[in-house]
Amino acid sequence: MTVVEGMPPTTVTLRRNFWRGVGRVMRRKPSRMVGVGIVLVFVFMGIFGPLLYPNPLPRDDNALYASPSWAHPFGTDFEGTDVLALVVTGTRYVLLAGLTTAVITVALGTVIGLLAGFHRGRWDTVLMRLTDLQLTIPGLPLLLVLSTVWKFTSPIEMGVVLGLLGWGGIARAVRSQSLSLRERGFIEAAKGLGLSTRHIIGRELLPSMAPYIAMNMLIAVTGAIYAQVGLFFLGVLPFDANNWGVMLNLSVFGGGALSSTAALPYLLAPLLAILLLTLGIVLVVDAMDEIFNPRLREE
Amino acid sequence: MTRTSAPGVRVDDLTVVYKTPAGELPALGGVSLSLAPGTITGIVGESGSGKSTLALSLLNAVQSPGRIKNGTVEIDGLGNIVELKGEDLRKARGRQVGYVFQAAQNSLNPLKTVGKQLLDLGRSHDFDDLPALLKDARSLLGRMGLDGGRVLDSYQHELSGGMRQRVGIMLALVLNAHLVVLDEPTTALDMITQAAILRIVREVHHERGLTTLIVTHDMGVAAEVTDSLAVMYGGRVVEHGPTTEVLGAPRHPYTKGLIRAIPRLSGDIDGATALPGRPPTLGTIPLQGCVFRERCPMRIAVCDTVDPVPVTRDARTVACHAVGRLATPVVPKEYA
Amino acid sequence: MITASGITKTYKQRGNMLGARAVPALRGVDFTIPKGGAVTFIGESGCGKTTLGRIVAGLETYDSGDIVIDGTPMSTLKHRHRQPFFRRIQLIHQDPYSALNPTRTIHQTLAAPLALRAKQTGRDSAWMDERARELLALVGIDPGYVLPRYPHQLSGGMRQRVVIARALTVDPEVLVADESVSMIDVSLRLGVLSLLKDLRERLDVSVLFITHDIATARYIGGDGELYVIYRGMVVESGPTESVISGPVHPYTQALLSAIPVLHGVELPGPDRVVPTEALDESHADSGCLFARRCPFVTAECEAAVPALVSDGAQAHACYHPQRRSVIPVEALA
Repeated sequence: MTVVEGMPPTTVTLRRNFWRGVGRVMRRKPSRMVGVGIVLVFVFMGIFGPLLYPNPLPRDDNALYASPSWAHPFGTDFEGTDVLALVVTGTRYVLLAGLTTAVITVALGTVIGLLAGFHRGRWDTVLMRLTDLQLTIPGLPLLLVLSTVWKFTSPIEMGVVLGLLGWGGIARAVRSQSLSLRERGFIEAAKGLGLSTRHIIGRELLPSMAPYIAMNMLIAVTGAIYAQVGLFFLGVLPFDANNWGVMLNLSVFGGGALSSTAALPYLLAPLLAILLLTLGIVLVVDAMDEIFNPRLREE
Repeated sequence: MTRTSAPGVRVDDLTVVYKTPAGELPALGGVSLSLAPGTITGIVGESGSGKSTLALSLLNAVQSPGRIKNGTVEIDGLGNIVELKGEDLRKARGRQVGYVFQAAQNSLNPLKTVGKQLLDLGRSHDFDDLPALLKDARSLLGRMGLDGGRVLDSYQHELSGGMRQRVGIMLALVLNAHLVVLDEPTTALDMITQAAILRIVREVHHERGLTTLIVTHDMGVAAEVTDSLAVMYGGRVVEHGPTTEVLGAPRHPYTKGLIRAIPRLSGDIDGATALPGRPPTLGTIPLQGCVFRERCPMRIAVCDTVDPVPVTRDARTVACHAVGRLATPVVPKEYA
Repeated sequence: MITASGITKTYKQRGNMLGARAVPALRGVDFTIPKGGAVTFIGESGCGKTTLGRIVAGLETYDSGDIVIDGTPMSTLKHRHRQPFFRRIQLIHQDPYSALNPTRTIHQTLAAPLALRAKQTGRDSAWMDERARELLALVGIDPGYVLPRYPHQLSGGMRQRVVIARALTVDPEVLVADESVSMIDVSLRLGVLSLLKDLRERLDVSVLFITHDIATARYIGGDGELYVIYRGMVVESGPTESVISGPVHPYTQALLSAIPVLHGVELPGPDRVVPTEALDESHADSGCLFARRCPFVTAECEAAVPALVSDGAQAHACYHPQRRSVIPVEALA
């Protein structure tokens, strides 16, 4: 506990205390540091990965489906391209699409949930019907139909579509949270003091729900990664994009990775990448509750 | 080995510690207290005084991260409950020691009727004659002014707060326990309901020949029903004696301050004065010296270094250096 | 000054398919809160006293009747224009744990309403800081210690003082204290009570005190008016001291009789009244609402609701008013 005698805390010191608290929470369990490490590695690959390799990636016609070696830690694919390079350069698409999905689901879900839960009445009815409508849209069939006319070459496009199909759950959850929070004394007091609705929602309600929203956001990222990789794997989407899902598809349906060992590293590398990224995110999610709760942050 | 008469209880040098990141902190620091057979004893104290921990110790039910580090709790007919384990301990709870938990209003299973829960209780204690158990429960509830049959067929949400509290008392007594512990039996109840529950506690206590312990933060509740009163502060019993004497002529400065801080219905309104400072929490209980000294108007030099030993004189026990000084020299515990 | 007349409120309880059951919470309550005065409502839980406090603080609507704040009847205003009036009436919640946002420091908690105030009066942020310190000092806590802290780092008593300081940021005329000390440790309780008392004198704010604990009501508002409310109706009212020492309605007498006696210091009152039954909201509404529980009930009581009549100082709604001495008497006197 830092005692700031005399002076009230400025925003700057508050922010510094916050980050110091975050550091403390992260160090509390080694698994969290591991999670942060994994996520950082993937972020690094996403940003700088494509810069590390020439574009297009070199092929080695003499080493199709090569076994793992020092030159190719995960072997090569059907064209003799290094699998590791494929995984690294594919990260950007996966992460960007996942992030876009998460931003859209969380932004839409939170805003709609908050408005519905805080205002209740007519707002609530309209917004919740809209949410129900969203929840009833069958995602996969719609994507199948969409993919016939849309190539999804940009990860942003992919993310936007997945996001628009996935905000309903968060909206419902945020609504029920704000319904219970609005009965709390501090929200009523804020109303009684005549504070603006913007202040009440933005400064009083939202921070109390931050761990919840952050957790949902990270879970949405994993969900989006699964969804897009799945779509590419199924071959629903064209192979223009460099994506882990494309690798999976080609290794199974082109390389016969399920029946022969030659293409096995080609199958396992993207699987491992997905697994690691998910694991990293799950380990970070574990810390969310403590990060946003000032009491847990300090102890 | 079911007793038919009220047991006596002797708690001796009981120390309970809680494990925290800052090490093991004592919630009870060497508490000694005896409950005379057939009496109602009250324990009053504020949050963090250790009163609930003491009550739980009578069941040997201190929950982790807490543990009983030292001391004994002798219950007549049962022995030292601190040493009981497993099945023996489970059987003793309920059969010999009945416990009405804090917020008993919320400790019923919402999915089962009261009657079903009663039968579960009977079965888990190997009662063969379940109809007799139901009959007992009905008559106990009837005794407390409820329609026994209707209550047994009810779910928790169909009963009011006062009714649930009575159900809690019934469940504590129905297995024929003769030592009953009530933890905050009237919190969250209204004045009129509280008065009714306290009356019932007193009547049932006499009719069934019980030894009763009531834990409360409310001096009035303790005053209303108890024969003997123990005042706890910072994990110590600072004063213990017959209720009317403790209230009428308190000796420990904490007891005095507490009684003075109660607003009254008659007399001078401004007669009530607040106690300065605030009660210690687990982490702020001083490890050395008297636990009350920070708020004490009678503080002397020795209070900073030596934890006062409880001294018993004419049936009253007080743990205070200043009080000992004024009356008689500090008597070591062995001579008490 | 605030005057309420004929306030009624009925909650619809979700019933079966045939329709909702109406639960009357308030059945026509009148009272006046004079400037700087103290008004106390006492009653059991579910008697409507909490609803009343929330209505007065503008946190709940009422079905009929009217509240007049400083000469302006609220019924003449549209909903959104009422807020500035109700802001003069601040509610102090029962639970200081939930009344403060756990994610905001005390400084942030006080800054928000002070910023609003500064904007209205054209003051700057230096004034806000100064005012925050002034208010905390006024409620008896060290601003330097409290301002940078989060609510969980403070004791219950301190938290309740912060809640009071926050209410004072908007310079209210009335503080509505709903069981404001019931969740605070016994030795700290009196401190908060005497603070409320002190504020009445120093700032000339009125206090509407809502409680089931009559002794604390007397401590704060001994010089004010006391209203005894039962199932949404005022059954007895009058100057606090005179109602406590000479209650005439059997319900008031039952409430006062139920207060624990400090044996050894006090003797129980000679005429203690014990209700014959427990509170049951489903009891008939046709006659006197207390008839089913009243030990002095007659046939007349069940026929029609007795009106609140005044006998000079005290008013009561009972067909058989009789003074009884029920409160504990000092034993040592």
